[in-house]
Amino acid sequence: MRYAEPETVEEGVSLLSSTEHSRCIAGGATLVAMMNAGHIAPAMLVSLHRMRELFAITESADGLWLGAMTPHRVVAAETRLRGSMGVVRSAAGQLAHPSIRNMGTIGGSVCLADPSTEMPVALVAASARVEIAGSGGRRIVPIEDVLVDRFKTSLGRGELVTRILIPRGIEGAVGHHLRFSRVSGDYPTVSISLTLSMQGDRCVHASVVVGSCGPVPLHVAAADQRLLHTPLGEEDVAAAGQLLASAAAPIDDVRGSAEYRRMLIPRLLGRALSQARELAHV
Amino acid sequence: MSDKISLSLRVNGASHALAVAPERTLLEVLREELRYTGTKRGCDQGSCGACMVLVDGEPVFSCLSLAVTLRDREITTIESVEAGNELHPIQRALVQHGAVQCGFCIPGVVLAAKALLDRNPHPTVDDIRHALGSNTCRCSGYARIVQAIASLTGERP
Repeated sequence: MRYAEPETVEEGVSLLSSTEHSRCIAGGATLVAMMNAGHIAPAMLVSLHRMRELFAITESADGLWLGAMTPHRVVAAETRLRGSMGVVRSAAGQLAHPSIRNMGTIGGSVCLADPSTEMPVALVAASARVEIAGSGGRRIVPIEDVLVDRFKTSLGRGELVTRILIPRGIEGAVGHHLRFSRVSGDYPTVSISLTLSMQGDRCVHASVVVGSCGPVPLHVAAADQRLLHTPLGEEDVAAAGQLLASAAAPIDDVRGSAEYRRMLIPRLLGRALSQARELAHV
Repeated sequence: MSDKISLSLRVNGASHALAVAPERTLLEVLREELRYTGTKRGCDQGSCGACMVLVDGEPVFSCLSLAVTLRDREITTIESVEAGNELHPIQRALVQHGAVQCGFCIPGVVLAAKALLDRNPHPTVDDIRHALGSNTCRCSGYARIVQAIASLTGERP
């Protein structure tokens, strides 16, 4: 196996595109586990550890850009992720355990595209955008266009994720992430990420995304619509939850059957919405 | 095995010049090259915490860390926790509470607890449970481990 530690993204892109079976290594939390288990044996590892720009966190008029190498621990402590952007901070703080949060990175989470982890769900709820560098330059695409299937992204050969934009969102909105797992720190059986804005007791914005219930985070426009202009009463939540549950395509696994997961969705939605309202004091 | 790469690793305050293959994990290098065998090999998947070390004061799984990526970082293993033949207060508390049992998980537990207490000297019992969430004890002696660490903070589990 060859190993390289380029100092610029452009050098990295050129190494990745010129070598077959090459992989980027960020925190290593998943890649090294797969190598240890003999599932993969890359011909070349391109380390991202020396690319300084990937560690930068920069504020812009649009929101906060998080470098791809930002560990979850740093995201969880980033106080500029407030308002609806707080959904990303909330999810990062609940992800696995401290040791995984020290190792795993936001860029790594995007590229792994694991539908049962926190970060993809929260990034969809936050309408995040992803900057991708390739031999043709850089492009910025919505997170939903990056996550195309279970463990599959739309990144092409030789491309790497450089940074992620968490947009400011609507003034006065809040973000929240709620996970349900058998034990704290395990993969969620179901998780919900949402951004919410209320005017008085009326919902004026809702973006609800469900994790662990399909190949990509589940975002159903009709469910958001069903909550809009309502007081988020029991009936409203049950109806939106039902729309999400019937659109879900969960799998049966050790953490819960598909049926159990579908039953959890409306219940967790109600809990997540009331917790978000408490955060917003409405 | 791939071609070796020369690097210097800083472990417990000392620098070690090494030549290691890029796929070698920190765990392998610590145990096999540097003979820091207090760090245990458990699952190799980041699930059990037996291999935990501190990197720049934060707990990480050495089984999931490639040694070549850790140049210029400060690595702390269980060997440096004891000072002058004196057990660290965390180690003493674990012994006093009968929490050590087979001992295989204990190096990782001590380091996870040390990272927690260094950052937050007064964690709640919940904080302690969360901080130790990635450490598996096959003897299932969690209650006493938590009691031992809580005894250092004045918390009652």
